[in-house]
Amino acid sequence: MKKLLNKIRFDKPFLKFDLKMKLTTLFLLTALSVMHAGTSYSQKNKISFNVNNMTVAKVIERLEYTTDYRFVYNVRSVDLNRVIDVNASETSIEAILNKIFNNTSTDFKVSGNHIILMPKKLATDKTAEVKKPEADFIVKGRVTDAKGMPLVGAAISDNGSGRGVQTDFNGEYQIIAVSSETTLAFAYLGYERQEIKVAGRSVINVVLKEDVQELEGLVLTTGYQNITAEKVTGSFSNLKAKDFQEQRLNSLDKILEGRIVGYQNGKIRGTTSMNGVTKPLYVIDGFPVENTKYNQYFSIEENLPSLNLEDIETITVLKDAAAASIYGARAANGVVVITTKKAKAGRTNISYTSNITVTPYRNYTDNLTDSADIIGLEKGWADGNPNLKTANASTYAQSLLNNAAFTSLGMQTILKGYSGALSQTDANNQLNHLASLGYKYFDDVARYAKRDQFYTQHNISLGKGSETNSFNASLTYKNNQLEDINSENESIGLNLKNSTQINHWLSVDLGSYTNFGKGDLQDYYAYNPNNLATAGFKYQPYNQLVNDDGTYFTSTAAMRYNNFTLQSLQNYGLYNMDITPMDELGRNVSETKSFLNRTFAKFNVKFSDAFTYNAMFQYEYGVDRTNYLREKESFSVRSQVNGMVTIANNAAVYNLPYGDILKETNQFTNAYNFRQQLNFAQIFNGKHDVSAIAGMEIRHNKAEYRDDTRYGWDEQTLSFAPINQVSLLGVYGSVFNGYMSSNNFSAERELQNRYVSVYSTAGYTYDKKYTLSGSLRWDRSNLWGTNNKYQNKPTWSAGAGWNINQESFFAVNWVDALKLRASYGIGGNIAKLSAPYLTAYYTNNGNVGGVQGSVNSRPNPELSWEKTTTKNIGLDFSLFKSRLSGTFDFYNKKGEDLLASSTGIPTEGWGYSTYNLNNGEMTNRGYEVSLRGTIVKTPSFSWDASLLYANNKNKVDYVNVKAPVYYLQLDYPSAYPRVGNNYNTIYGYKWAGLNDKGLPQVYNAAGEKVIYNPADLEAIHDYGSTVPNHSGSFHTSVAYKNFSLSALFIYELGHKVRNTFLPMLNNNYSGALGGYVTDITVINKNIVNRWQQPGDEAFTNVPRAVYEYEADFNSASRDIYRYADINILDASNVRLSNISLAYQLPKNVVQKVNLYDVRFNLNAENVYTWAKSRDAKYMLNGFQSPSFVFGVNVNF
Amino acid sequence: MKNLYKNILYVLALGITFASCDNYLDDVPKGSKTPTTLADFEAFIRDEYGNQVVNVEQAISLMNDRFQTAANLAYYRLTNANYMWNENADRIDLNQADETTYYRTYAGISTFNLIIENALTTTEAKEADKRILWAQAKILRAMSYFTVTNFYADTYTTANASKLSVPLITSADINAPSKQVTLKEMYDFILKDVNEAIPYLPKVSQTALHPNLGAGYAFYSRVYLQMNNYTEALKYADMALAENNKLFDWVAYYNTNKAIIDVPNSYTTTPSPMGYNYVENYTFRHGSSYSLGRELSIPVERAQRFEAGDVKYKSRWKIRTVGSDTYYYSTMSGMYNFGGITTVEVYLIKAECLARENKISEALAILNTVRKTRILPASYADISTTDKTTALNAIFNTKRNELILTLIPFADARRLNAEGTYPFSLSKVVAGVTYNLSSTSHMWTMTFPQGATQNPGNGTITQNVAK
Repeated sequence: MKKLLNKIRFDKPFLKFDLKMKLTTLFLLTALSVMHAGTSYSQKNKISFNVNNMTVAKVIERLEYTTDYRFVYNVRSVDLNRVIDVNASETSIEAILNKIFNNTSTDFKVSGNHIILMPKKLATDKTAEVKKPEADFIVKGRVTDAKGMPLVGAAISDNGSGRGVQTDFNGEYQIIAVSSETTLAFAYLGYERQEIKVAGRSVINVVLKEDVQELEGLVLTTGYQNITAEKVTGSFSNLKAKDFQEQRLNSLDKILEGRIVGYQNGKIRGTTSMNGVTKPLYVIDGFPVENTKYNQYFSIEENLPSLNLEDIETITVLKDAAAASIYGARAANGVVVITTKKAKAGRTNISYTSNITVTPYRNYTDNLTDSADIIGLEKGWADGNPNLKTANASTYAQSLLNNAAFTSLGMQTILKGYSGALSQTDANNQLNHLASLGYKYFDDVARYAKRDQFYTQHNISLGKGSETNSFNASLTYKNNQLEDINSENESIGLNLKNSTQINHWLSVDLGSYTNFGKGDLQDYYAYNPNNLATAGFKYQPYNQLVNDDGTYFTSTAAMRYNNFTLQSLQNYGLYNMDITPMDELGRNVSETKSFLNRTFAKFNVKFSDAFTYNAMFQYEYGVDRTNYLREKESFSVRSQVNGMVTIANNAAVYNLPYGDILKETNQFTNAYNFRQQLNFAQIFNGKHDVSAIAGMEIRHNKAEYRDDTRYGWDEQTLSFAPINQVSLLGVYGSVFNGYMSSNNFSAERELQNRYVSVYSTAGYTYDKKYTLSGSLRWDRSNLWGTNNKYQNKPTWSAGAGWNINQESFFAVNWVDALKLRASYGIGGNIAKLSAPYLTAYYTNNGNVGGVQGSVNSRPNPELSWEKTTTKNIGLDFSLFKSRLSGTFDFYNKKGEDLLASSTGIPTEGWGYSTYNLNNGEMTNRGYEVSLRGTIVKTPSFSWDASLLYANNKNKVDYVNVKAPVYYLQLDYPSAYPRVGNNYNTIYGYKWAGLNDKGLPQVYNAAGEKVIYNPADLEAIHDYGSTVPNHSGSFHTSVAYKNFSLSALFIYELGHKVRNTFLPMLNNNYSGALGGYVTDITVINKNIVNRWQQPGDEAFTNVPRAVYEYEADFNSASRDIYRYADINILDASNVRLSNISLAYQLPKNVVQKVNLYDVRFNLNAENVYTWAKSRDAKYMLNGFQSPSFVFGVNVNF
Repeated sequence: MKNLYKNILYVLALGITFASCDNYLDDVPKGSKTPTTLADFEAFIRDEYGNQVVNVEQAISLMNDRFQTAANLAYYRLTNANYMWNENADRIDLNQADETTYYRTYAGISTFNLIIENALTTTEAKEADKRILWAQAKILRAMSYFTVTNFYADTYTTANASKLSVPLITSADINAPSKQVTLKEMYDFILKDVNEAIPYLPKVSQTALHPNLGAGYAFYSRVYLQMNNYTEALKYADMALAENNKLFDWVAYYNTNKAIIDVPNSYTTTPSPMGYNYVENYTFRHGSSYSLGRELSIPVERAQRFEAGDVKYKSRWKIRTVGSDTYYYSTMSGMYNFGGITTVEVYLIKAECLARENKISEALAILNTVRKTRILPASYADISTTDKTTALNAIFNTKRNELILTLIPFADARRLNAEGTYPFSLSKVVAGVTYNLSSTSHMWTMTFPQGATQNPGNGTITQNVAK
């Protein structure tokens, strides 16, 4: 390829640039990007400059190359072919220019780092004019801003000749126009460009409007190309760094949440897939970055990409087909395109940002049963137990104690009272004491095992740019002290990026991002709201972590094991089975180290003005290493070693060596992406703006996971004890019934996705009014069908836009911009683990040896990518000089060929699971409104507000599945969607109140009240969706002088959540009792309002506490209560997500200490949640405590 | 300019040529594969969870061969109906869950169908080895059909032959047709499969999970016995015993582990000898549990039906009281061949066949051979009688004890009840109430789970019992 390019370079005359053309380009570049440069620059810099026998043109080129100065001139007023010598050392630019232009017809003026060359005043006398019969027409005037302040250095160019001049210190200019009918363009950085027809006028005063980054001038990037907003036909949402500067930059989703309309819970415009990926594709600087990894349970997780968030310049979210279809098989979920900062020519920018965040630990217990409630329930168990009413009560109680049937402190005290081990009085006194302890255990956990979260974050960024080079670097350090006292992590992210204009036809971008991370994760949890069993012993609110005398609480083996186990423990001298939670907390902390690097190179070749070519390549490599070292002192190791003990010759055989156990997990990810494309852009006859790209792309993603566990590990000598895996797999412990599986030794997984794609887009704009666009893409992957016909389906899109405000008939003063867009097209989506053929997975068989195989999925030869057709109609407007702007979009996303469940047939061997076929259909329909307005604007005070609203309705149009059994409909609604319903529907029974025994009842299909599962799909109804119909945000900010205060409210309305924290006792299998028993444990406080006596059913819906010895004890009660509509809660909520108070130090103060800008901010995040009920708020995690952030940002 | 476009096309074409290189996309994801070789298919037989589980839980509950706590009986209504012999219960309505007996057995049948369809065309194998795998899959499929037929359908008798059995499906394809055939058709199918398989079965198979020639003969014998064809049953029993006639010496096992077994109130386990290497195995399949562990507990009344001095029983269970429940708790750990075939079953089939031919003393000699390995010498006495019924009842009793927690006692009870000469019924008193399971009860036929009848696939399913 290199050879080919060289050939083009040297053989083809088209690459030799016309200097005039070059200067025009240069001029425009200059005008657009360098205007803001400081004005007192030139006098200070001393330059050495030596040339001999060189044309003026070359000298100018050389000067531009070696200094920051840029020349602005009219080719006719400078004799570029004159050959000169310049020898200057350590002199000023003015001196050099003097040497060059002394005694010529050219005069010069240095303005900032612009050198303006013009004909000597003397030369512009009448004779000179007479010599030029084409009669240049001189236009002069003044350029000001809206307040009448002169704009210094504004660029004026003549569209006819390409000549350009700049305004002077008074904002005045004078230009020799090519004719009296030409058009002049006026540009100034940060202001809107204006084009004015001279129409014979010799004085034109211009007022430039400040560019408030509205529709015009805004450049959107798709990752494949940049499109100016006026040519856009698709639905884009755009964020700039300034839009989220008030936010702590901690996670990407927090930035998007509440700021991108239609982005909700990590998804864009609803759920578009049933079994495939539903998260959007993330693209950083043109490259898709998929952070797909295995978790410890071997399932695949899609993570957000890693980057230094401070580097983000813009985020563009592509929502409809016209915007996203170019991403082909991954377009259906929308695409988030991130562009990182690129230093502009001029001032070197160094900025430092730092913040600390404190999240106080919140011990929310208001909805938990307390000690008295639990003792009440435990006493209730005894009071109703008929076995305790007989003469054998003490034998019965002793038997339960001997068998460790109930291990909570309260139950053991009660049983001891009955067995005679304690007197009834003592037992009652102890119970009363326990009942008085309130939330002791939770208080102890808060005091000893938890802490306030403390996050610190520092970033330093620097950017340095010149005309030919731009360099950016940033370093982010984060340190997070998590809630569990032994959990913490830290990371360093280093980003380097450089763009160089090698010569006039080639530029190269190089970049590299590296992240080093390190983390500790506590393994022992004193409790876990979702898994009450992790403490290792049965705790209740009256338990303690630290005893009253200050010693650590220990749950001894005697409190938890039956007599014969304790006897064996002693007889065979096994390891101690006590648990001391305070000691366990710091043991077995797993350590993770991670490394990630992403490096890219982009080559941009400019064949001609119209044709450019890019080739780009990115390689990504990541390593995640976890060392999970279980210390031999820990209960976890002691119980595993004891578990594997067998008895031979009446002595213990330790099948597993006693010692530290190390589980090492390594995950390697690599990805590469190669893309090349040819771009074409040209405006014909000033009206026909045509652009097109065509290219191809290769993408590869791979994740390799492996873990190894070593037993009897010695960290010091790095030695381990060999174990006999084959025999261990056959061991079933004699005393503690332990066993092992091959995953206890090692495991390996690998995921590899490859894609090859060819794509093209084209756009046509007529007279800036009408735009048509289209895109087309073919993807092939190693994931899909063996049959090519299913791979060859292209994704495509078409769009149209109409800039109404450009029409001559539309002359409404207060409308700045008005645009109508429409698009139609197809985006694809994939399921990463599907395959077209019958697949089986193979593992070793530890029992009989060899390899065992199991069928994974049935053959699916028609597997293809999922297809989502999106229609979008949008309206963009900007009114009253951009005081009010907004967009309105209506969309209809119709998913077809979705991988949907099909009913498994038991007789075919597929009775348990369903299988997936590309036959599902689903529609997401909705509309989005975003409004931004400046309500008040005075020089010292302003008030801005914005409102985002997204409406989304999802409907399943077709699936060929029906839940085979009622409970699958309730438990796995997403596997068995019902046609006509929302895909995210919550299903439930219709509640029929409690019966006269306090048992929950629901209505069966016939409308009768039943206490058992109706076991009938007809009795199961749709009770709304888990995904909000209405979502959005309200943002308001006021700025007064150097203070600004802003607040972001995020709302979600019209959805449901199932209450899973119920005021009803659960039933759990008890090994000791050989069956299901009522599990008295911490539950919803509402249980105090439970049914107690006949008649209560009229007042309460909280069922009676039923114990396992009762005839009414059955599995259905809890099921039907759990699934009843009374436990489906309205999840509508409003969150005050962020409040930010910022103070900017006054410029004059800052500049005294040689700083550019200093800003302090004080934030409160996650401030408050408003929900319909306490239970709903609890389910929505609304009782979390807010985080407080203090941050400072300094620009040097 | 023209050259420029040409060159651009060159560049793009280069990339596309590289990209369309098929090998690049044919890189099949790892972690799973499409089975092609003989070894790939052979591995399915080693999938114990998927294909080697013979869970007949409700049959064992109906027989009261396992203990159920009061709480479990309140919790599981179908179990309650079967355990408490509640003839009024609508077991069709109660069978709402994914009953393993049906789901798992058909999942196994599907895999065996896949092997049978593909074994003979697999790669990397000798012709003879392909035939062996094909034959083994046929035996396992026949065994699976025997299980579901003797669970969900009425017992085979000449009178019942034209009644419906269970869905017969012989292909692993999506939407393969299945037909609920008659009992005769089902038995014919089973016999045909076994008959086709036997010539290719190896005398020694790869693992205990792979049926060998002895397993083929033993299963043949079991099927003929179930069809009341004693001549054929005896013939194949003899052929099976010619392959393997070893009996495990439980007396020796007991003596070795006495120190643990004899400690009262201790439930420390001894390793199960009834796993993959059990000398009595023809072929090994799991019962309800496919993992290492204890056996199910048995009720006190059931424990009383074991013979005095039976150390096989004594090594396996010990009385235990937890709260209000008293039962016999397992003291063994490991694997148990509850779903395959063992020599002791074939000995007892042979004994029954001989007794039915009035060769009483020959029959009792066989029975006593078995008993000697189970009963402590101190308690042992030969059973000797000339009465056919006494002899047969002694054989049946030993068989019920020997094969407890498997399908066989249930299948035998159904067979004997259908025959009517030696009916089997049960009776118990719980909290002063007497419960009976008559030999003619409809409860001896189980109901299909709802998931099966509602999703019959390409066929129909009719319940064989009204409730």
